[in-house]
Amino acid sequence: METIDNSIAVLVRNINPITKLLIVFCLGIGCLIYPLPFVGYGILCLLVILGILIGQGKQVLKLIAGFGIPVTLMLLFIQGLYSPKNITMIADFGFAQMGLEGTMYALKISSTLLIFLAAFYLMLQTTKNSETVAALTQSGLNTKIGYLILASLNVVPQMQRKVKVIQEAQESRGVEISGSFIQRAKAFLPLIGPVVLSSLTDAQERGMTLEIRGFGINGDKPTSYIKVETTSLDIVLRIIAICFLISSLIPRLL
Amino acid sequence: MRQSFFRRFLQTQFSTKALVLIPIAVGINLIGGTLSSTLKLPLFLDMIGTVLIACLAGPWVAALCGLATNLFLSIVTNPVFLPFAIVSVLCGLVTGYMVKAGLFKNGFGVVITWLACTLTNAISAALITIFVYGGATGINSSSLFTAALIATTKEIMLSVFSTSILENLIDKGIVFLIAYWLVKKIPRRFSSQYAPLDKDYLLLKSRKGS
Amino acid sequence: MTSTLIQVSHFSYRYNQESEVALKNVHLEVAAGEFVAMIGANGSGKSTLCNALVGLIPNYFVGYSEGRITVDGKDTASVSVGELSQTIGLVFQNPFNQLSYTADTVAEELAYGLGNRGVPRDEMFSKIKKIAELMQIDELLDKNPLELSGGQVQRVALASAIILEPKILVLDECTTQLDPIGSEQIMDIIKKLNESGITIVMVDHDMERVAELADKVYVLQHGSIVLGGTPEEVFCSPQLAEFSVSPPDYYEITKNVIQPGYREKDFALTESQAIALLQEVLYEDRNQEPQA
Repeated sequence: METIDNSIAVLVRNINPITKLLIVFCLGIGCLIYPLPFVGYGILCLLVILGILIGQGKQVLKLIAGFGIPVTLMLLFIQGLYSPKNITMIADFGFAQMGLEGTMYALKISSTLLIFLAAFYLMLQTTKNSETVAALTQSGLNTKIGYLILASLNVVPQMQRKVKVIQEAQESRGVEISGSFIQRAKAFLPLIGPVVLSSLTDAQERGMTLEIRGFGINGDKPTSYIKVETTSLDIVLRIIAICFLISSLIPRLL
Repeated sequence: MRQSFFRRFLQTQFSTKALVLIPIAVGINLIGGTLSSTLKLPLFLDMIGTVLIACLAGPWVAALCGLATNLFLSIVTNPVFLPFAIVSVLCGLVTGYMVKAGLFKNGFGVVITWLACTLTNAISAALITIFVYGGATGINSSSLFTAALIATTKEIMLSVFSTSILENLIDKGIVFLIAYWLVKKIPRRFSSQYAPLDKDYLLLKSRKGS
Repeated sequence: MTSTLIQVSHFSYRYNQESEVALKNVHLEVAAGEFVAMIGANGSGKSTLCNALVGLIPNYFVGYSEGRITVDGKDTASVSVGELSQTIGLVFQNPFNQLSYTADTVAEELAYGLGNRGVPRDEMFSKIKKIAELMQIDELLDKNPLELSGGQVQRVALASAIILEPKILVLDECTTQLDPIGSEQIMDIIKKLNESGITIVMVDHDMERVAELADKVYVLQHGSIVLGGTPEEVFCSPQLAEFSVSPPDYYEITKNVIQPGYREKDFALTESQAIALLQEVLYEDRNQEPQA
């Protein structure tokens, strides 16, 4: 998490993680329910603006371009040209015709994906994982699940660093470049094997540590060092998010 | 009522000892990505840890490991991975129950487990790709292959499914090969802590002279 | 009169699916405030005994046990490990396996054990502050524990055990993976803890340290306690070599320098004893007064 200290970034960072999760969820699902994809692209623009305001504009745009453009094109190709739902044809490419229904469907899927992607990214950039888990645990999330989320987020990068060191050592010796698939596998696997096995056997002592620290001793009511507050801003934001979700249902019901 | 059942289920299936395996197995799963990029393969190889954990701690811990892997991927890389958690959970369960049935002890059993896992993965992943994503997710190069197939066959369902089967046969084949090689190397002192209690009641095998 | 804090009565243990017994009929008593050292070759059962003292055996490890261990009056088999750790703490070899992996900062790491026990947030702050000063980790409190050195993490691990205010601390080779400076810092803290009244049970391969710090030394071999007593009794025992244990270097040096029977006490176990003895002998030979 980078620290950007303009007032909006601070404001966003202080929002309760549960509020942020709720907003991500309501935006994504809401856009999926709205019949037209343009609501989604509108929301996406708002998210990009929010990203720029908190100093993450470049990263958000990069994410959208890097993932969003290829997946949108791919979906337009598959659904726009070959969806069985296509009835109204809007363009003819010679080898296939582009249908309105499939195109709309493709745009909606891609806009929903992009909203989840961008909103979730912004949430992660403005929230500490431990805060999110503390907030969830305080609202009744099982402590074991909380442990799994946090421990995975901490253990995995540590293991990836270990592997990376090995990989770089191998590359510097030219193992990666030269040789066939079998040769590369033969060079790499004997080095990865011990890392995997030693990481696995570390589990025994890590379990001992958890037991000693009293993991789960107090049922599901542990206290936390991290303070998570629910302010009036949180309540307002939650109401807005839920209203958005409900409003997305209205055109469907009418 | 459901809450208490869920809690009891958590208590019995997920001891601390089993639980601490999961973050590490998630790490091993993701090392697979590094591995495939090193071996220049357009694959995931993201189930090695799940298979290892299935051998040690059973189907439900393996299933939770699959869920955690996808949760991690969606938090850190791309939320696109989240719906595929169902695939990982199913693969963990299938592998776990196959191992429990004693199928991971010889080459033949490993092949059976491999095929079962491939089929589970291919079908469930294809269904999610079609029904959640409309045919392509854009997270790997096989999406291009799917697109090409659709262009020639004009059949979305068939194309996604055949790409999925082909991709999974190779992917899971390598995964099970590596996992089988690794399982045999796990120190016995460690794995016996996850095995059922032996039947030489109380002490002491040596005292009885066996 | 000193009270017995730890009582191990004829305790035996075999790990699941192992054919060898890890502990064989171990009988041991530790008095309050004592500094006890356990020595022996690798695989002699020292770690197993440590795990049994803190209740991980039989509550965490799978296997068969006989006999009974009571710690401060509590039967280790009938209370949970988490409950027992408020009476008896454990620090072991690998620092990075003693982190919870749920904390972004050292302060959160220290708070983890307290949080699991439902200690209110305000109390956490005062406890963390107190412990951090004692362990000399004040300046680390806001750092990510995974980015610290082994020695620093080991001090955090020690702090995480001490913050629960146990009466006894079990140290299973807790300095083996550290560099000399890190190791020295840990031992200084442990000395201080013992002086403040905490009972210490320490497994260590450094015999000089054992001789200097321990009130009692026990030698383990093949899962049994084969020798026990004061450092002097143990290190002077003629049987010692049979148990793959060698006495401190100071013992060998002084024994070789001073002829047997030349003095009433012809050996030394610790650095300070050896200096005093050698000075005495050398200056006596030159018919000089030893310098102050």
